[in-house]
Amino acid sequence: MLATTLLAAAEEGGEDGGFWADAYPIIPHPAELIVGLLAFAVLYWVVAKKVVPAFEKLYQERSEAIEGGIARAEQAQAEAQQAREQYSSQLAEARGEAARIRAEAQSERKAIVEAARTEAAEAAARETERGRAQLAAEVTQARSELSRQVGELAVELASRIVGESLAGSDATTRTVDRFLADLEERAPSGSAGGATSLGKA
Amino acid sequence: MSLVATALGHSAGSAVPVPLAAGEGFESPGVTDFWQPLIGEGAWAITRASIVMVLSVVFLAWVMVAVTRRLAVVPGKAQFAAEAGYNLVRNGLGREVIGSPDFLKFLPLLVTLFFLILVNNVFAIIPVIQFPTMSRVGFPAALALVVFVVYHFVAIKKKGLGPYLKSLVPPGLPGWLVPFIFLLELVTYFFTRPVTLALRLFGNMFAGHLLLLLFTLGGEYMLLHSDAPVLQVLSVGSFAGSFVMTAFELLVEVLQAYIFTLLTALYIAGSLADEH
Amino acid sequence: MEGNIAILGYGLSAIGPGIGVGLIFAAYINGVARQPEARGLLQPIAFLGFALAEALAIFGLALAFVFR
Repeated sequence: MLATTLLAAAEEGGEDGGFWADAYPIIPHPAELIVGLLAFAVLYWVVAKKVVPAFEKLYQERSEAIEGGIARAEQAQAEAQQAREQYSSQLAEARGEAARIRAEAQSERKAIVEAARTEAAEAAARETERGRAQLAAEVTQARSELSRQVGELAVELASRIVGESLAGSDATTRTVDRFLADLEERAPSGSAGGATSLGKA
Repeated sequence: MSLVATALGHSAGSAVPVPLAAGEGFESPGVTDFWQPLIGEGAWAITRASIVMVLSVVFLAWVMVAVTRRLAVVPGKAQFAAEAGYNLVRNGLGREVIGSPDFLKFLPLLVTLFFLILVNNVFAIIPVIQFPTMSRVGFPAALALVVFVVYHFVAIKKKGLGPYLKSLVPPGLPGWLVPFIFLLELVTYFFTRPVTLALRLFGNMFAGHLLLLLFTLGGEYMLLHSDAPVLQVLSVGSFAGSFVMTAFELLVEVLQAYIFTLLTALYIAGSLADEH
Repeated sequence: MEGNIAILGYGLSAIGPGIGVGLIFAAYINGVARQPEARGLLQPIAFLGFALAEALAIFGLALAFVFR
C-alpha cells in the first residue's frame, strides 16, 4: 500500500525533481532497492563461487602442508633415532668384538709364553742332562786317568822302594792290572770307596 | 553553486531554490542533495548511487577474482593483504560469533556484506566517485532485507516455526509476563532488528556526508559569496574541519561495515543457538 | 529562527541511547581490562547491547524525518 502511494506520488512528481527529490530519506527508492538486491546477488555469487572456496582450499592446503611438515619432521626424527640405535648397537657389538679379540690375544699370549717357558725349561733340562752326562763321562775318564796315573805312581813308588825298575816289564804291568782290578772289586762304587781303597793301597 | 560543490556531490539542482529575496543566503545542504538521478526520473530512475553501487560490485568482483586466481600456500604481499581482510571476516566475525563449523555456510554472506559495504562507504570519500551509496536508504534496506530473510529462514529451518516463535520468550518467566515479552521480542525480531540494521548504516553515512557537505559548502560560501573579510578568513577553519571530518568519516565507514556484518553474524548465531 | 522542531526531538531521543551506549562500552572495557581472555565472550554481548540501545536513537532519526 505504501509502495503504491509512493509510486503514485512519484508519478505525480513534477519537473522540480519530483517526489523523490524531496522525499523522506528513510523511504527506500524502489530502483535503488532493486539495484541493491541485484548487486548483492551478483557479488554473493562471485564470493560463494570463487573467493570463499579458493581461500578455504588454500587454508586446507596450508594446514595440510604444515601437518605434512610435522609428519615429515617426526619421520626424520624416528629415522635419526633408529640410526642412532643402530649405531649404538653396532658400537656395542664392535666393543664386544674388540674385548673378545683382546681376551683371545691375551690367552694366546699366555699360551705362547707358556709354550716358550716349557720349551725353555725343556731345553734347560736337556742342557743340564747333557752337561751331567758329559760331566759323568769326564768323571769316568778322569777316574780311569787317575787310576792309571795312580797305578803308574804306585808302580814308580814301589819300584823306587823296591829299588829296581820294574817299569816296562810284563810282569809288573800284569801285577798292576791285577791290583787295580782288585781295587775295582773291593770298591765297586763311589769315588770315596775308591779313595779309601786307594789310601789303603 | 561552484565547481567545488558539484564535485562533492552537491547537486546544483533547483529543488529548493536559493532564496534570492535576501540577495545571497546560505542554502544549507539537505535531503535534496542526495537525490541525483542520472537516467530517467521518478521511482525507476537510475541514480548516481545506483551507478556507484554497480561500479563497486564490478570493482570488487574484479579484485576478488584477480586475487583468488593466484593464491599460493606461501603468500605474497598482495595476497597477504587480501588474506588479512578475509580473515578479519572469517575468524573475527564468522568463527568467533557463529562458531565452528556452522560459520562456513554463512561465510559468503558475511564476506559479501562486509566488503560491499566497506567499498561503497569508502567510495564516499574517494574523489570523483565521492558519493555515499548507503546514504540512499534503499541500499542498506536491501542488505538488511537479505539478512532479515536469512536469519529467520535459518531459525525456522533449524527449529521449526512453532518452536522458533516459542523460543523468543526466555524460559522461567512468570505467566502474566509472557505475552508482553513475546510481543516485545516479536517486534524486536521482525521490526527493530532489520529496520535498525538498515537505518544505522543509512543514518551514519547520511549524517556523515551531510556534515562533510556542510563544512565544505559552508567554507565555500564564506570564501566566495560573503562580503565580510572575517568570514573569508574563517572559511579556512571550515575547510580544515572538512578534512578532519573526512578522516573521521573513514573511521566511521570502516566501523559501520564492521558493525553491520557483526550484527548479521550475531543474529544468525542467535538463530542457530538452541537456547533463547 | 527557522527550523524543524522534529530535529530537537531527535536530539532529545539521542540523549538516552548516548548514555546507554557509553555505559555499555564502559562496562565492556572494564570487563576486558579485568579479564582480557573474556574479550571474545564479551564482544558480541557488548555489540548486541550497543545495537539495542542505538536502535532508539535511530528511531528518533527516522521520526525526525517523518514528522518534519
